Amino acid sequence: MRRSLLAASALLLLALLAALWQESCRSKPVALTPVLTGQVEYCLTCHADLPEISRSHPVKTFGCVLCHGGERLSLDADLAHSTMRGGKNPSGFSVVEASCGGDNCHSGAAADYRNHIQRATSSIQATYAGAIASIRYTFGAQPDLTARLGIFAIQAPQSASGITGLAAFDPAQETNPAIQAFAQDCLYCHLSAQPLAEDEYSRFSGCAACHTPLSDSPPTFSENGGSHRGVHTLTTAIPYTQCNRCHNRGNYDLRSMTFVPRDDHPTGRLSDYYQPIAQFARCEWTLDCVDCHTRAEVMGDGSLYSGKKEIQYIQCRTCHGTLAELPNTKTLTDPNDLAFRLAFLNESAGHFESAWRLEVGDTILVTGKGEPLWNIRTLSGGTYELFDKATRQRFTFRPVMGSGCQQKADEQASQDCHKCHAVER
Amino acid sequence: MPDLSRRDFLKLAQDSLLALSGLLGLGGLIRFLDYQTEPPAPTDFDLGLASNCPAGTRKVIPDVPALLIHDASGFSALSLVCTHLGCTVEEEAEGFACPCHGSRFDPQGIVIRGPANKPLRSLRVETTEDGHLHLYTA
Repeated sequence: MRRSLLAASALLLLALLAALWQESCRSKPVALTPVLTGQVEYCLTCHADLPEISRSHPVKTFGCVLCHGGERLSLDADLAHSTMRGGKNPSGFSVVEASCGGDNCHSGAAADYRNHIQRATSSIQATYAGAIASIRYTFGAQPDLTARLGIFAIQAPQSASGITGLAAFDPAQETNPAIQAFAQDCLYCHLSAQPLAEDEYSRFSGCAACHTPLSDSPPTFSENGGSHRGVHTLTTAIPYTQCNRCHNRGNYDLRSMTFVPRDDHPTGRLSDYYQPIAQFARCEWTLDCVDCHTRAEVMGDGSLYSGKKEIQYIQCRTCHGTLAELPNTKTLTDPNDLAFRLAFLNESAGHFESAWRLEVGDTILVTGKGEPLWNIRTLSGGTYELFDKATRQRFTFRPVMGSGCQQKADEQASQDCHKCHAVER
Repeated sequence: MPDLSRRDFLKLAQDSLLALSGLLGLGGLIRFLDYQTEPPAPTDFDLGLASNCPAGTRKVIPDVPALLIHDASGFSALSLVCTHLGCTVEEEAEGFACPCHGSRFDPQGIVIRGPANKPLRSLRVETTEDGHLHLYTA
């Protein structure tokens, strides 16, 4: 009996020592109490090596859980990650309101287009309404190109386009085999899609599709090297390569309703652009896409549209004017002008020792709809200076007025400029 | 040293092991009960001797974060937490600027440029009898 008790007490001691040893082997929790939540989280115990995601979202202020979800006090990886929103992408549109929304964040007031989530989720990049309408019209399922269906049902009562709602596209309701094939093969090319299985596509949806650029060249260029690894970043300094990842991957074959990835291996910036019949003027392959295309064009303006031509409105004349008119300008007088905010929030331009610091009194270009082109300002002598939002390069350009351009008054769209200014490819 | 019988030795060993186990278990229990996952944030900061901050002092206290000011009217402090979303503002020539979203404040903490729409918070500073400065955030 006494021997048994002795053995039991020895076993108890061993068990306690083992527990103590296991405890000592565990990494000490690294606690962070973000300003915005005031609640301790231990995520940095494992993720301390991650870089700040952006200057506007410092971890000390936001922490991790506010955006990503997860079990903030767990030191077990599986448990800690079990309730994360959106897996690797908390900006996926199914969870974006919980991750990025809120009055002080990206569901803000409609003024100055601050309701980014509502705008992005109703944009044609999210609804895919243009492609669906186009295909259904082509194959006789609807009488015109007006959008009626989207990837998901959505209402926009204030929609300026007159389209106040879209029903959900249901492939089961379609009888035409071509539309069924479209539904089967072509519905991953929008911001609310379930990303493709390959790791490089894991963040190709939601806000991250644009604002979290990958660190290497586009996926189709994998033979050139590159890890396709995403980086922990959010930025408005979006390089053209990120846009190319979706918009330059290849073409749809409308006969077979399949996507045909490009198989060439471009070696230069100009040949990066795939569309074989498209024409490009120098600025279109020298600048980055975001230097010209505005946030309303890319992220929508809160209305529902039937296609990109209804929302994409930037033309060569937006910056260069015409023979008869100079481009629209605006002199900044209000320190709270939206232009200052947009400039500040751009990673390339925005810091205090900024490469591009706007001041009250500066004159910038504005689009025909009044959107500030904060990265273009007038210089003395009637020229303009453009700051490349992604590369920080500066470019000087002249207006058409006063030049030797012979364009006709009724031929002033970009396609007309291309007649003379497109480069040979 | 008296001879120990086998029985006494086993009893002593058993009692020692049990006592050691008990102590270890008790230590673990105390550690478990005493552990605070979410310790309350401090609201009272001892800034050291007031004499170390002569008139004219403008000193950033990063732990708060706040700016301690000693001017003709005495000691005062301004919170460096931006009233927009809580980032730490940085002192610059014209006042303060928030590195996160670009809010600007004048040297008194008044908003010059949004998105913040409230001034930086003034914090209470007191000198204790032993000459220490205390800054209170609550």
